[in-house]
Amino acid sequence: MQIAGTVTAKLAVPIDEAGLIRAAQKGDQDAFERLVRAYDQSVLRVAMNLLRSPEEARDVYQEAFLKVYKNLHLFRFDCSFHTWLYRIVTNICLDHLRRRKVRKEESTVVETSDGPMDRAATLEEDSPRGNPERQMWNAQLSDRIQRALGQLTPRERTVFELRHYEGLRLRAIGDMLGTTEEAAKNCLFRATQKMRASLESLL
Amino acid sequence: MSVSGYAENAGQFGKSVMNCSDFAQDIALYCYGELTGEAEERLEDHLAGCQVCREELDHQKLFMDAMNDRPEELDFGVLAECRQTLRAQVATTRPWSWNNWFRNVQIPVGAMALVALGWLGAHYTPERFGGVRAGLGTPPLFSSVRSVEPDASGRIQISVDDVTRRVVSGDPNDPHIQALLLTAVREESNPGIRVESIGILQSRAGTEEVRRALLDAVSHDPNSAVRLKALQGLKTYSASADVRQTLASVLLKDDDPNVRVQAIDLLTAHRDDALVGVLQQIVEKEDNAYVQSRCMKTLQAMRASVGTY
Repeated sequence: MQIAGTVTAKLAVPIDEAGLIRAAQKGDQDAFERLVRAYDQSVLRVAMNLLRSPEEARDVYQEAFLKVYKNLHLFRFDCSFHTWLYRIVTNICLDHLRRRKVRKEESTVVETSDGPMDRAATLEEDSPRGNPERQMWNAQLSDRIQRALGQLTPRERTVFELRHYEGLRLRAIGDMLGTTEEAAKNCLFRATQKMRASLESLL
Repeated sequence: MSVSGYAENAGQFGKSVMNCSDFAQDIALYCYGELTGEAEERLEDHLAGCQVCREELDHQKLFMDAMNDRPEELDFGVLAECRQTLRAQVATTRPWSWNNWFRNVQIPVGAMALVALGWLGAHYTPERFGGVRAGLGTPPLFSSVRSVEPDASGRIQISVDDVTRRVVSGDPNDPHIQALLLTAVREESNPGIRVESIGILQSRAGTEEVRRALLDAVSHDPNSAVRLKALQGLKTYSASADVRQTLASVLLKDDDPNVRVQAIDLLTAHRDDALVGVLQQIVEKEDNAYVQSRCMKTLQAMRASVGTY
């Protein structure tokens, strides 16, 4: 029985991926660009969702694809290109999250004359759609989800993001993060427990 | 929402007894379709008779539905910017491919290097050759933490990649030493070591592998000192067709005038009428006076016109 209704990370249009990789390995920049376009929306989305910062997501995008470009000749088809790419992307994201933790990034909460205010909560939603009540609920839920995600460790957050939103299997996630499937399972469970505890009042 | 232990709902499976709290993780994994068939059946059997766990399953589904409500709109403006920046960066970045040579010889050379390391490990013992033992007990030069994972008992499992150093010595004519030197020319990031390795290898450019390594270094090494050193190594082979082809390409593409000066000297040391077209092109585009004058003199000696018409 399978309940999970998550998004699959498969390509929308079938492409001869192996052929593109081989051509790109021989220096065909057009093939490389097609390869990038097959995956870059997914890469940017993961980076955005993990880091919640367009600037950092942009950096991750550039760093990841440049790494792929420079090291494509080392790709030997002993894992899927998707796994290889995501391994690069998640490691860069994890580095960003860890660095952020070390430098204790500036909080979004500021002191005002009316008391503490979360600047993130005052950001306007870009897509006014649906009814206002639904919109308000979405904004509130989104804010709470972001806070809950912020309480996870970088690794828990990455595992949760990749499993829940990207639909990757835990075995593949474990492989990407250099750990076992069992450890990835434990990590996902810890993440869901923490998230559920944080969102308890809303559910 | 947490599931506390309910001993009354415990089920016995083999020798182990599982209660509701043991099933909590399985319920989450079940919702993600990540349980094995056996574990899934075991959980479904348990769910059939346990109201508490059925409620836990409902909560988990509710949580997952709520998480799916998160707006996930990709900013296509940001995506377009990213693509544009990447295209510009790729255009100015050279993939570290070493072109065909690297791909063709990577596996044999890699295998050879491994064999060489094994052979050297067995034969060139530090005790025999005065090397330094840097094996057991020697702290690693570089360590990188790959993962940190707490387990259920509270212990931490840390996965660490260590790089250690070993010193080997041998005759430069030894094929195993040459294999290591070729690996250093190809893979070492320090240009000083690449220059040093080419310096040792250049007197052995008679062998096919060394010659190809020198030709690739001349064409692709990012450091001009390394390219110059490799050109020196090819001096005695400047009459060979493959060397001349590489020299012509260097003259047209290399951005360091010192490298081009060295290349034109080697190229014009032998008369070759097939080079007229290349030399005319160089005269047109070359901004270094010495290289230009050498080309013009060579063309005149060949009774060829200096310009293209």
